[in-house]
Order: sequence, then C-alpha cells, then structure tokens
Amino acid sequence: MNGLLRGFRSPEARIGLAVVVVVLGAGLLAPLLAPHSPYAQTSGTFLPPSATHWLGTDEYGRDLFSRVLYGIRQDLLVGAVAVPIGAVAGTVLGLLSTVWGWLDTVIQRLFDVTLAFTSLVMGVTVAAVIGPGLPAVLITVGLVNVPLFGRLTRNAVKSLQTRDYVTAARIVGVRPVRLLFRHLLPNALDALVVQAALSLSLAVFIEGAMSFVGIGVRPPEPSLGSLLRTSITFLDRSPLYALAPMVVVTALVLAFNLIGDGLTKGLLRR
Amino acid sequence: MFRYLLRRLPAALVVLLAASLAIFFLLRLSSGDPAATLAGPDASDETVAAIRGSLGLDEPLFTQYLIWLRGVVTGDLGTSYILHAPIAQLIGESLGNTVLLAAGALLLAVLGGGVLGYLMGTVRNRTVQNVLGALTSLGVAVPTYVTGVLLILVFAVTYRVLPSGGVGPGLSDFEIGVQYLLMPAVALSLPTGATLARFLAASLRHTLDQDFVQTGIAKGLRRRRLMTAHVVPNALPPVTTVLGIQIGQLLGGAIIVETIFAWPGIGQLLLQAVTGRDYLLTQDLLLIAVAVFIVVQIVTDVIDAAIDPRIRLERA
Repeated sequence: MNGLLRGFRSPEARIGLAVVVVVLGAGLLAPLLAPHSPYAQTSGTFLPPSATHWLGTDEYGRDLFSRVLYGIRQDLLVGAVAVPIGAVAGTVLGLLSTVWGWLDTVIQRLFDVTLAFTSLVMGVTVAAVIGPGLPAVLITVGLVNVPLFGRLTRNAVKSLQTRDYVTAARIVGVRPVRLLFRHLLPNALDALVVQAALSLSLAVFIEGAMSFVGIGVRPPEPSLGSLLRTSITFLDRSPLYALAPMVVVTALVLAFNLIGDGLTKGLLRR
Repeated sequence: MFRYLLRRLPAALVVLLAASLAIFFLLRLSSGDPAATLAGPDASDETVAAIRGSLGLDEPLFTQYLIWLRGVVTGDLGTSYILHAPIAQLIGESLGNTVLLAAGALLLAVLGGGVLGYLMGTVRNRTVQNVLGALTSLGVAVPTYVTGVLLILVFAVTYRVLPSGGVGPGLSDFEIGVQYLLMPAVALSLPTGATLARFLAASLRHTLDQDFVQTGIAKGLRRRRLMTAHVVPNALPPVTTVLGIQIGQLLGGAIIVETIFAWPGIGQLLLQAVTGRDYLLTQDLLLIAVAVFIVVQIVTDVIDAAIDPRIRLERA
C-alpha cells in the first residue's frame, strides 16, 4: 500500500483530487448552493450572465448555473453506485476464475462477449432493451466495468500464485478461500485502485455520451450530457450554454485520469 | 500464419454466437409484441395476427432466432418498419459515410499519433517531453462530444470557415467534401491519435533500453538505420495491438461524432432504430457492430503474429 500512498501524494493526483472534491462537492451540495430551482421557468430566456444568473439562462429561462450543479449529481450517482457494483462483480468473477480451470474458460468467454460491446455500443444495447434513461446509464457503466476489473483481478492473482509466500501459505495448510482473500486479493489491490480511478473517468464519459446522443438522461432532467445535447441547437445564441457543461465534464474526466496517472507513478517508483 | 488464424477462430466464433444470442433474446423479451407496435394502437386483432404471421412471429422464439441468423448470413436483413426500406439498402447508404469518416479519422490519427509518439519516444528533452505528455493526456481524456462541439463553436459559429454539419457532396467534389469531413474526422481522431502516440512513445523508450540497441551503436550503425531496421520494428507490435482496439472502438466514437455533425452514418441509423423501437434494424446493426469489433481483433492478432514469431509459435 506504500506505493499507493506515494501515488496519492504525487502532484498529478493532488490536482486531480482537488478538482474532483470541488466539482463533486458542488454537485452534492447543489440544493444548498444553487441560487434557483433547476426547473423553475422564467420569461427571461437566454439572459447573459448577471448577479442573479451567474451563467445566464437557457431557452426556458431556467438558471443555467443551477442546472449545471444539479447535472453533476447524475454523475455522482453513476460514480457512487454503478462503478462500485461493476467493480465488485468483476473482482469476484475474476477471483472465481482463478480457482477452477473450467470456470475460468466460461468466465473469460463471458468477458470476451461483454468487451465486444464497446462502451457506447453497450449503452445503445442497454437502452434498446430497457429504454433510454438514467437506469440505462447505470446498467451500462456497471456492465462495462465487470470485465475490466475481472481481467485485472484474474491476471494479478495468477501472477501472484507462483510467489514463494503463496506456496509457503499453501504448504502450511491455508485453505484456498482464505488464501484468496487474506493473501492474494490484498496484494492485487493496488492495480484495482488505479482501475477504479480510470473507471470513474469512464463513467463520467459514458453518462455524458449516452445523454448527449439521446439515450441517457433526458431533458428536462439536467445532466452534463443532456445539457450539452440541448445547448448545441443554440450555439450561435448562447455559447456559454454549451461551454459550461463542457468545462465541467472535461474537468471531471481529466481529474480522474490524473489521479490514475499519479497512482500508477507512485506504484512504479518502488 | 494460417495455423495461427485457425487456432484463434473457434473462440471468436463462440463469442460472436453468444453475442448474437444475447442481442436477439434480450431485445425480443423486452420489446413486447413487435406486431402490435407495427400495427399501431388502433389496429384490430386480425390485423395484428396477420402482421405477426407475415413476420414469422408465430414461430417459437428459438426458430425465429435461427431464421434471423440465416438471414444475416445470407445477406437478407429484413425490412425496417420505421424507415419503410430494406435494411440492407439502409445500411448500404450509411455505411459509406461512416467508413469515410472513420478512414479520415484513422489517417489523421496514425499520421499525427505516429509523429508525436516518435518525438515523445526519442527526443530526450525535458520540455518537449512535458509539453507532448500534457497534450496527449488531454487528447486521450477530453471526450469527443466536447472537442466536436468546441470545433463547431470556433470554426463554424465564430469564424464561419467550415460547415457545421452534414456530409456535403462527399468525395465527388473533393475540395468541398474535405471541408465537411475535416471537423468530424479531427474530433474522432483525437483520442485514437493521442492513445497511439502514448503507446508508441512508451514502446520506443522500452526498445531503446534493450541490449541490442547498444550493440548496434557499438558496431557503428548509423542512427537512421538503427531506428528503421531495428528499433521501430521491435517497438511496433504493442502499438498495432492498441491500434486494433482503437479501430474496434471507432464505431462508438462515430455514434457521438455523427450526432454532433449530423453525419448520416451507421451511428445515426442505430440511434434512429433504438429510439424508434425498430427491433429488427437494432438487432442487425448491433450484431454488425459486435462482429466488426471481433473481426478487427482477429486481424490485429494475425498482424501481430506476422510481425512477431514469438506470438505465432506460442503454445503451437
């Protein structure tokens, strides 16, 4: 775990963490911070930025700043619910596939099938099955993460299995399940934490992409992707409408990537 | 070579079959009665039954699956009921646009990524390293829908030098066609190009550290010959693998880029199919998307094996 700690102290990870805390914190506290309701319509459409409307208003006279703040909450949900579920499912499947050879073959083929649906194709598939909406985004992000964590766990554990300390543990009679959870998984954890940072970045990307192409969060519900989707109709009237969600989504994706980079550096510099 | 292909093929077929089963049954079990959707809300029971019969929806589900699969294999993809046209024809019309977009993006990505990656991997100057590193980090991370909209804001809204969307005349009028293609292709190429650059740089650095490079220098090889004959060929295999994965993911990016630039390609057709609940069109397009991904993977693996005998002979 020393490497991870060192990674968290790297400049990349510090900047990334700061951005993530600020942006996600603003989303979390949206009900307190937002000056207006994200749904309240007024007669003042496409108002320029002012003291009452920091980023101006949209085509229904709704406060854009408040809508962006509330939009962040969708990503908060996707990151806090879908990514952990996919990660745990993937890790468990990855662990299981190191125990029995036949199960390994089955699980690896299952991962191959899931991976053949690249992230947005998976999104379209899920939306076709259960219909467009936030649930489709959550399921897509979960499913995409399963093989990522599964492969990583399996390969990490497989490479650890030949280490002397594992052989020693086996010889003194440590049961397979205990061996897996007490001796193998903790040592494979480093790679999984790095993957978690990258998966959060991917989750924000997928929410944005699905909502942007119209199969994720749908208007009037605000999300970074759905705001951007609506805004492109009004690019010549109100560039800020598009720029605001663009800046936030880029900051989040980039910040999680930076954290991932920083952690990797910390782990490599042994 | 051929032996290697034969060894890779069965697993790929199993994956493709499993994917087709998943696509068919998930869509069919969730989409309700396609005949009722097709007939409309006011249709009589007889009409619905007639439609059901004509589409073969009376057959058991698994028989329907086999009929669908036979159709896909023989090129009979059925008819789209939201667009009232044969699906093969619809795909034919949009495939060209997507291939044009993807080819343009790929060309830019390989050229740009190749040059940047080569510089990043070989120039040992701190400033150059940091600048290129930051640029490629941005390229990898910034989502296509952000760069695409940004390009429109700058070049179509503010400066009005490029069209904001559509395919234009295509390649029949090259000069104008390129203007329409430029922004979508750039937007689609950025993540691919940046990823390529990073992997090429890492692979070059790793290769330059190998003993054979020292030997080459020691026996007096010219730098150009050392790079072209020894370093680059040895650095390429991991890069082609990444390129394969990136090409497989281009369709996902194309869905986004086609939405931004109103580019009438496969991605747009797929979105139309899903939002219009056209189950047959959706099924066909999803299967094609997955099949393309799998085929690209195999082609990449075979190319890797051709470059590197170690892969070809492993466990042979």
